[in-house]
Amino acid sequence: MEQTTHQQLTDYIVAHQEDFYRLAYSYVKNRDAALDVVQESIVKALSKSDSLRKPEFLKTWFYRILLNESMNYYRHNRRLVSLEEEGLPETAAPQGDHAARLDLYAAIDRLDSREQAIIRLRFFQDMKLEDIAQVTGTNLNTVKSRLYKSLRKLRELTGEECSYE
Amino acid sequence: MSEAWSKARSAYEQTPIPEELDFAVASAVRSGNRRRSRRRAIHRSLTAALASCACFVLLVNASPTFAQAVSDVPVLGSLARVFTVKEYTVEDREHLIDVRLPALDLDGNSDLEQRINSEIQTRIDQVLQEAEDRARETKAAFVATGGDPDEFMPIIISVDYEIKCQTNQYLSFIITKTETLASAYSEYYAYNIDLQAGRELTLRDVLGPDYVELANEAVRAGIAQRSQDPDNVYFEPGEGGFTSIDQDQTFYLNQAGNAVVGFEKYEIAPGYMGMQEFEIPLPGAAK
Repeated sequence: MEQTTHQQLTDYIVAHQEDFYRLAYSYVKNRDAALDVVQESIVKALSKSDSLRKPEFLKTWFYRILLNESMNYYRHNRRLVSLEEEGLPETAAPQGDHAARLDLYAAIDRLDSREQAIIRLRFFQDMKLEDIAQVTGTNLNTVKSRLYKSLRKLRELTGEECSYE
Repeated sequence: MSEAWSKARSAYEQTPIPEELDFAVASAVRSGNRRRSRRRAIHRSLTAALASCACFVLLVNASPTFAQAVSDVPVLGSLARVFTVKEYTVEDREHLIDVRLPALDLDGNSDLEQRINSEIQTRIDQVLQEAEDRARETKAAFVATGGDPDEFMPIIISVDYEIKCQTNQYLSFIITKTETLASAYSEYYAYNIDLQAGRELTLRDVLGPDYVELANEAVRAGIAQRSQDPDNVYFEPGEGGFTSIDQDQTFYLNQAGNAVVGFEKYEIAPGYMGMQEFEIPLPGAAK
């Protein structure tokens, strides 16, 4: 039984490695760092795979680890950068100037890291809200309210209607 | 789906995938599996050990022949030396704590045994207390700056041990503590015991009076060798890099019985290099 869960996890990881890399990259914005994050998450997941009792949670369980690793790296790194460099240019939603508005993809980076996670998992990985709740360790209502808040922010940032449906 | 979303999604999907990904994933899978089997092996032997604990003790006491036989079997012998006294997991909003605490059983030297066990206990208690305080503070700061308490990522603290060397003469094991917050910080504490002399082992005992020189030489050689790979970077001696080992340098003995000195993350090299370890050949075997 345990053997098969572990095997399933391994297969799942190998089959979806590119998704993991993209998600990690979207946080760390650096090729080597993203590779690191993916590797670290895999090692962690596999070495602790015995604590994963139910194979049906395999996907959300792994995403949770991956997201934790990505955010940890992201937070840590942002702190390092801000000491040395000038920081990112401030481009938050210039009012009325249409040309200077961000495109949606770039605007997502302006959200806080938890909101980014919800947007990316929902719209780029087609994950169900219930699953996102599990990945982020919150309840469904929190996920929903976060999602609407994020969409509102994105609308302000891009000046476009970002509702998904 | 709106046009903006399909554009954003295709931008996301066009994130270039590096060629090394396949390789990186494969090697992570291998090393994850290795770690897992190590955990499992220990776990399994522990479960078995627990189950048979009562009769084991009884037999050792009741039958000198059995006791004799057990100490001749290396695996069982090692179980009788270091075993897990406490294994627990705490999970709440602030932290996930995972602890496996070892204890030592030295027959015939209960003084040393007690001293080391109480030292381990005190040290781990203190480390855990500090880690918990830190987790609480971090959470308080997170909430105070407007974070939603529901979203706080619990801080992961794990304490585990690993036996590095076990012979008739020496026993060497390390206890590692990993705290994952913004990044993972690991610390380890090493215990090296000379079973025959019944005391803790120092680097001097292993390497002789010139131990500082010997160790420094080995570390410098190791740094020089690893630096040939341009991906490996060490701090220069002037900027906080390696100059010399400490008087009470952390070390352990590996399977071959050689001393291995360890430096923590950030100690002599940038964080991404992780923990750095160097094996010091024994003076006799060096040349």
